[in-house]
Amino acid sequence: MLNVYYGKTDEAIYNTAMYFDNVFQVTWLDDPYVRKMIKNVDKSEVIGDYLIKSKALGMISPKQLSGGVKTLILTYFKPEILFNASTCGDNCARWFLDMSKKNDRTINLRHVMDFGNGTFDVHVLNTDQVVHSMDELVLIAGDLI
Amino acid sequence: MTGSYDIVVKNSIVQFKFRVSRNITILRGDSATGKTTMVDMVRQHALEGDASGVSISTQKECTVLTGIRWQDEIRGIRDSIVFIDEGFSFVSSDEFARAIRDSDNYYVIATRDSLFNLPYSIKEIYRIRTVSRRSKYQEYDRIYSEFYPIYDDSVKYVRPDAVIVEDSNAAYDFFNALCQKEGIRCISAAGKTGIYSKIKETTDGVVLVIADGAAFGSEMERVMSLRRVRNTVLFLPESFEWLILRSGLIDGAEVQDILKSPYDYIESGRYFSWERFFTVLLTERTVDTHLQYSKRRLNPNYLNDREASAIRKVISDMTGGDGQT
Repeated sequence: MLNVYYGKTDEAIYNTAMYFDNVFQVTWLDDPYVRKMIKNVDKSEVIGDYLIKSKALGMISPKQLSGGVKTLILTYFKPEILFNASTCGDNCARWFLDMSKKNDRTINLRHVMDFGNGTFDVHVLNTDQVVHSMDELVLIAGDLI
Repeated sequence: MTGSYDIVVKNSIVQFKFRVSRNITILRGDSATGKTTMVDMVRQHALEGDASGVSISTQKECTVLTGIRWQDEIRGIRDSIVFIDEGFSFVSSDEFARAIRDSDNYYVIATRDSLFNLPYSIKEIYRIRTVSRRSKYQEYDRIYSEFYPIYDDSVKYVRPDAVIVEDSNAAYDFFNALCQKEGIRCISAAGKTGIYSKIKETTDGVVLVIADGAAFGSEMERVMSLRRVRNTVLFLPESFEWLILRSGLIDGAEVQDILKSPYDYIESGRYFSWERFFTVLLTERTVDTHLQYSKRRLNPNYLNDREASAIRKVISDMTGGDGQT
């Protein structure tokens, strides 16, 4: 399940892009799931250990990945750490839901991320409520950000 | 700082073209649209000028704000357009709000946080979108990107079952009087941050929200999210005072000139948001007249047939209504 803590908290790593740049492990790019996320969000393809082919920017290094995909990768590999997922656009939302199906993940949001029109399981930690749709979530999240 | 500025930031790979017209511009939207790339290009140009390989075309100096000494940096920046990338938590602090309120710069801030302590306009929240890629001769063409507004202030006429007004003072007095005539329930939210809760509490059919668009930006995301579960219509003129100024009730060609291009008249270092400027303008222009304006309580003369009709006409022109609501 995806756990979400809404609003400001000192427990979360806020500047996820900076954190990613300093803890990056080259083996992360070998993971097929990471490659899928990079392809979907950044429209980019992993070519080698430190080389990514971006549709927009040409050949780039992992440091030039978007802030959103960096946060997704961190959440995927470091579930024990709370990251500020408001560095992610709505195009990252489905990946948070997907990666938390097998193993729980926890993120911090400071905005009302749109998780789409489908059903899902999101545990709002602030109120200890589990919601299953955006219709339920919007009635809670706006009070917490 | 006053004015509206067209800005082009480019290198051999990407070009960003946009306009800033107010003291605060917010960049949001999907990941991987180029926000960080653009701010980094501005940073490189601020460091090395054209020798960086980045070209910036605009009438004002562009720079970036980063790091732990941001307060010292702000004090040293004058009459500039200042860019801030996401990842800097100070943008949501009261200290930052105070610092930029007292400065004469314009700020372009990349963040999805709702910055509740900053009065930014609903019209100045953008996403970046790619408009074209050209050239058959390079493997990687230059990407042409621009800012695209996420929200607009257009609204179609609808007869509401309830009206929620941001204000509890003059604007509420006016809209409450109109609603009473129409038999519509009118509620004051006692401030913009109360609107989200009032919408949630309201079980009436169509709920019309009336708020000052000039400073409502921070509320937009959560209020818009409620449209999934509440039939909500937003009417967001710059401010109630702006509606009165637009109505023609206040004499003077200069007023209409100001309304055509407010950015040429509103000094960002003096007015944190445009609605404050319109309040001062209306108050000053009506001193010792039968329409003497006070924000605290509505002068009853604004409810006379002629005056109320003129203001309703502005609302109708904006909504395509029949002038009744």
